[in-house]
Amino acid sequence: MTSRIPAGSRGLALAAAVLLASAASGPASAQTALSGNQIIQTMNSAARAAPPGLSAALIRQAVQQHMIDNPGMPITWKPLELLDSLAQVDVQIQFALNSAIIRPESYATIGSIADALHHPVLGGYKFVVTGNTDTTGNRKDNLALSQARADAVVEALTTTYHVDPARVEAVGLGQEALQDVKNPKNPINRRVQLINIGKYLPGK
Amino acid sequence: MRLIVTSLAAALWLGLAGQVSAQTISYSEAGALLAKSCGKDIEKYCPKVNLGGGALKDCLAAKASKINPQCIADYKAVVASLDARLAAQAAVTKACRGDATQFCQGTAPGNAHYLGCLNAAKKVVSKRCTAAITNAGWN
Repeated sequence: MTSRIPAGSRGLALAAAVLLASAASGPASAQTALSGNQIIQTMNSAARAAPPGLSAALIRQAVQQHMIDNPGMPITWKPLELLDSLAQVDVQIQFALNSAIIRPESYATIGSIADALHHPVLGGYKFVVTGNTDTTGNRKDNLALSQARADAVVEALTTTYHVDPARVEAVGLGQEALQDVKNPKNPINRRVQLINIGKYLPGK
Repeated sequence: MRLIVTSLAAALWLGLAGQVSAQTISYSEAGALLAKSCGKDIEKYCPKVNLGGGALKDCLAAKASKINPQCIADYKAVVASLDARLAAQAAVTKACRGDATQFCQGTAPGNAHYLGCLNAAKKVVSKRCTAAITNAGWN
């Protein structure tokens, strides 16, 4: 497997060390479970680099295909594994019931994602924000809701928090990529993920 | 760097006048401050609008007479800080060019490599460059 991380990792390590030092001097926000620095470290993993050519459109196709290939009850499905090997973090974002409205208590968490995406260490990468539901309710509705929720997070990132829209896309995964396959109604399955999908090549 | 919430607005306005010395807060801190000062009003008066796309701003403006003044003030301060942070990020390359040439010769290309060098050389790097990096949130 080829490494997708640019040469000169000494500089990266240095930057990361400095980041850690500044993180230790004072937590940015007590309300935030996940800090921007933690996200940066996870997202910058060379071992979990994305395969070349991966895109939000391809992931959406894979989700559609997964629904076709796996009819019936969740317990019989083969999990969608496409994203498992990629650098990613699970983020708990609170939405209003059955809607894509982000509750204010989660504004800071989305801010942490913005802190990470604005940092030069991650400047050369592009990302997807996914939405996931559990299996309560209708499968197609869940896919639509998860897409709307991912869209809302990306909109907040790219407008309020000024993240370059060319570097982040929303992908609804519905109930196709369950975290707890054995317990498909487990609320732990409801989550947003930030996933590094590879090099950002402007103009491509 | 930790700002006391009540002094944030004042610090921002003072800072903005001096441009380079503007103090900015992180995106996470910005979100936390909005939630703290405006969360209750948002859930009460703007429960169907989202953070992004200007919807929240428009709703708070439309309901301004009912919204608590601290929320209005902090919302403005947050927007100003986020704008200042974005401007600082854009200004780092220019503000630090001289320092990079002087202190970071032989650094591999790529912003993060130079940033690592500049942060490591903090003691000798110019105030202008240090301020830009700080306000960009990259130190």
